Amino acid sequence: MVYLAGFHWVWLVISLLLGLAMGWIAVVHRGRGVSSLTARWLAAMLLALIVLAVMHVVPGRFGYWLDLGLVMLGVYLGGCAVGSWLRDGVVSRQAASGSTEHSNGTL
Amino acid sequence: MRGFFRWSSKWWPGVIPLTVLWGLAAWTTTAPLEADLSEQTAVALKDSVLDKTAISAAGRDITFSADAFSEQERSNAVASVETVPGVRRVNDRTALVAEAKPFVWSIERGVGRVTLGGSAPLPVVRNKLLDAARARFAGIDIADRMDLKRGAPPRFEAAAMLLIGETSKLKSGKATISDLTVNLSGMARELGGREAIAAALKNLPEGYSVADDIQAPPYVFEANKDPVSGVLTLTGYVPDNAIHAAIVASAGRKFGEKIVDKLKASLGAPAGFDAVVTRALRSLSRLSTGRLVVSDRNVELSGDALYDLAGKQIRADLPKDLPRGWETKTDVSIKPSASPVDPTVCQQLFGELLEKRTIQFEAGQATLHLDSIGLLDQLTETALRCQTATVEIVGHTDSDGDASFNQALSERRAQAVVDFLVKAGLPANRFTPIGHGSAQPIAANDTDEGKAKNRRIDFIVRQ
Repeated sequence: MVYLAGFHWVWLVISLLLGLAMGWIAVVHRGRGVSSLTARWLAAMLLALIVLAVMHVVPGRFGYWLDLGLVMLGVYLGGCAVGSWLRDGVVSRQAASGSTEHSNGTL
Repeated sequence: MRGFFRWSSKWWPGVIPLTVLWGLAAWTTTAPLEADLSEQTAVALKDSVLDKTAISAAGRDITFSADAFSEQERSNAVASVETVPGVRRVNDRTALVAEAKPFVWSIERGVGRVTLGGSAPLPVVRNKLLDAARARFAGIDIADRMDLKRGAPPRFEAAAMLLIGETSKLKSGKATISDLTVNLSGMARELGGREAIAAALKNLPEGYSVADDIQAPPYVFEANKDPVSGVLTLTGYVPDNAIHAAIVASAGRKFGEKIVDKLKASLGAPAGFDAVVTRALRSLSRLSTGRLVVSDRNVELSGDALYDLAGKQIRADLPKDLPRGWETKTDVSIKPSASPVDPTVCQQLFGELLEKRTIQFEAGQATLHLDSIGLLDQLTETALRCQTATVEIVGHTDSDGDASFNQALSERRAQAVVDFLVKAGLPANRFTPIGHGSAQPIAANDTDEGKAKNRRIDFIVRQ
């Protein structure tokens, strides 16, 4: 894993930035998200892929591509989580300051 | 937490560009990654002693095939590959090098090429043998037909190195190690090469047995007698300086000619060489013109005998006198009879013959010495030309010993010479043996040299 990270750091950084951006947007996005059923299916599929990767079941280049994809996806998801958490913090502060201004006006 | 799930349900659109990125990453990194892992694997195996090593990477999986020279080496090599950072899976296609039974290695010296064949136990040994062959056979093409096998006999490298050295002494031939048996055959480059190789093979490591069948160039000794120039030329080889001196001294006693000595000392003479050469030189001394060639165990004598009986004796006696195992080829013809001469010329001819040499006898006896037989043949030939003359054969001794004994001895010696002449076909009534004992010295008897001059047979021609 360390080897993969060292060898592919450019791609992982791009995945992370993409995740941060997506996470940042997701907090205020008004579109529809995936349903919880689909989310479960996706999680199960991801788990299955992780198991395949850990068990070294897929041989040769396909195995490498699977590892690469999972690492990039993991970094992306991590980026998403951090991005969303940051944006949520920003949104919460803005909301709090908005309500303070509103209460000041009524006084 | 509830918010987190809500946000995460909206992360999916980013997966689309992520998939594109993944594709691009896979597209651009697969080949460099595989090259990097292959290189690192090769580095990890740098110190492993393996044969036929092949490394190929598919993604992060390494397919590793090699032949190892021991089980421990094999497992260590596989472990080294497994610990290379980034390697995911190792497809182990390693095996042990095949074992040769018997373990055979060979070096063959041909025309312009040396071929190393059979098996070597390790790559490093194989390279050492090749380097040694290149050093020994500088300028000659070295062909490597060796493969690598297990099962070499102990101290194989030392034995093979020795054989490379010894093969360089061959003009052509082959050396083979088969387990602990060494075979060496071929033709030595130089005289004495056979003996030198046999001596060197004694240095083979303990436990090795040797069968060598080395031929050497023929060991040749040659003597040419040329009566026109009055020269006896000796060429070819003699075993050592002592035998060299003995042969030249023997030739000096047998021949009246000047000796041109071109002999060289070399090993490789067949057993009994000096005795055979000395004996064959005696036969050559009886020829007017002749050539003696001793080649290994073959003696070839050709030329012209001075008279009929001498020719018959030479042809009959030489093969009889040689040791067993020696072959003789005589091509002796009879010299055409020279024209008769009158008694005055006859006396002159006898005088010329006896001027430098004297007929030798066994010490204190009346037995003709075999070294004088050439001179006796020449005297006989001259006597055959003096068809009308009568000749007095006069014996003399030195002053040593009793006078009456010397008188009798001189008479008996003169008679022995007459007997020789008569046996050669001359009429007995033309020769008169006379003995003077020590009464007519021609030199002082107080030195060995003077005594030797006084011990003589004179030929005096009467009308």
